[in-house]
Amino acid sequence: MPELSARERVERVFRREPVDTMPFFSGMGMVLRPAIKELGYKFPQIHRDPVKLARAAILSSKMFGFDSVVVPFDMCCESQAIGNTISLYEDSEDTLYPTIPEKMWKSMDEVEIPADIADHWPISLIYEAIKIVKKEAPEYPIGAWQLGPFTMAGQVLELDILLKGIFKQTAKVEATLDKLADMIIAIGQKLQAAGADYITLREMGTGTDLISPRTWKNIIQPRIRKILEAWKSPKILHICGATNLLIEMMNDCGADAISVDIKNNLAESREKLGKNTLLFGNFDVFALPCKEETTVEQAVEGIKTNIDGGVDAVWPGCDLWPDIKEANMKAIVETARTYGKKPSPAVGRL
Amino acid sequence: MATKEELLEKLKNGVVEYEEDPVSEAAQQALDEGYDPLEMIMDGLAAGMEVVGDLYDRNEYFVPEILMCADAMYVGLNILRPHVPKRQEGGLNAQVVIGSVQGDVHDIGKNLVKMMFDVAGWEVYDLGRDVPLEKFVEEQMRTDSEVVAMSAMMTTTMLGMKKVIQMIKEKNPNVAIMLGGAPVTQDVAKLFGADGYAESAGNAVSEGIKMISRLRQMQK
Repeated sequence: MPELSARERVERVFRREPVDTMPFFSGMGMVLRPAIKELGYKFPQIHRDPVKLARAAILSSKMFGFDSVVVPFDMCCESQAIGNTISLYEDSEDTLYPTIPEKMWKSMDEVEIPADIADHWPISLIYEAIKIVKKEAPEYPIGAWQLGPFTMAGQVLELDILLKGIFKQTAKVEATLDKLADMIIAIGQKLQAAGADYITLREMGTGTDLISPRTWKNIIQPRIRKILEAWKSPKILHICGATNLLIEMMNDCGADAISVDIKNNLAESREKLGKNTLLFGNFDVFALPCKEETTVEQAVEGIKTNIDGGVDAVWPGCDLWPDIKEANMKAIVETARTYGKKPSPAVGRL
Repeated sequence: MATKEELLEKLKNGVVEYEEDPVSEAAQQALDEGYDPLEMIMDGLAAGMEVVGDLYDRNEYFVPEILMCADAMYVGLNILRPHVPKRQEGGLNAQVVIGSVQGDVHDIGKNLVKMMFDVAGWEVYDLGRDVPLEKFVEEQMRTDSEVVAMSAMMTTTMLGMKKVIQMIKEKNPNVAIMLGGAPVTQDVAKLFGADGYAESAGNAVSEGIKMISRLRQMQK
């Protein structure tokens, strides 16, 4: 049985063609502390330097045998490009991702996005990082991502303005989301042009623990469809939190694969989606690779349960948390390789 | 002149239907007509939020609705609370330190839980969001609060909670710790040594409402 390269394995999965074994890859951040340490970087330094961003991503994948490299790691590039100040937590030794402490826009009326936003720094450094990965690690497929418009709106406005606005100022909410959707389309197209092999739309904050299925259908879905239609395949739609009430609508947006987190009931999703849809995720990024008390054996069992649940790739349900236990992380990837030799619902085996 | 029951119903329905004007009118009328403001808060406004919690549990209401109900509730609370005699307020004289942990700027869940404590008449020390871990410990010590409530929306910030719990429990093992946020599970809360948890903003409301319901029962 031929051993496929990481690139071949991932590309074949997206085409739903048989593979040798299940890939371990993600559409969200996969940067890990051991790689950052070996490179001599500090966590806050890697987000705004394209070389550090690329090399931290490459080495994380190489050290642990992942099937792809993903950039960027933080969710503030677009908001910073628009003009917001970010916190990098440069004095902290803890793993703290950049945040936006104060948003400059206080209402939806103020939202105005420059026409050339996709060319602004620091968004532009992601394109540079992709090109570096392409040059220095051509054997890996490159994953990039964009937040969905509702989640992105929470990066440029206070989220409660949006949430309350759904009922009280529906037209304004829709206009705001349309502006952001256009920005997301433009950036995604540039990520793909720079060399991203697949792209994930992370509309994280729209699970039904936050908004209703009806709101999702009326407000969220039209924008997701528009964005995915404008991007090339392969493209993945990811939503965090409660997604079982949305899963069929998620599958009706034009994505090549659906990604969910640990709150999704996989068996129920698989039953609703059928066997032909690529379904990723539901792997607990804290309990299995990070939790101090989780043994290697428990991590392996967790991944077996994930695979048995009906996923087509071992794909973290969120960003991999950088402070992993190395033995657990390696065992998780190894389990994807060994236990993933049997066919998954949508992808056969060579 | 309205009866007590009519005013309680108006307050309750105003909260459930997120209509601020009827809540404002009923609260003012209750004061003008000499009804007990604490009773109006607990059996009117809080009872309304109890219904809201049930609607959330039944997937009929979601967070946008809860936020609007909360706005309506605060309209009534801001009118009634200043008239609750100090000795009577909440009945528990309890204090809570609350905030979103460092690295996390999400505060919707935190603010909804804060509302529950406000309704119950607790003294709330709100540290806001992106709060340095040591600040929780300092504020608990300064205020001698019985409860510390922390929120984290992301796995990446969740572990900060464990450090805070360790620091607080070392100094004062009797402090009750509440955790909330999307990545927090019962398992995580137990592992970190917390005394209670809520997994989402809506769930935080639901849990908070149960707590208020228990308080309402205790006061009867």
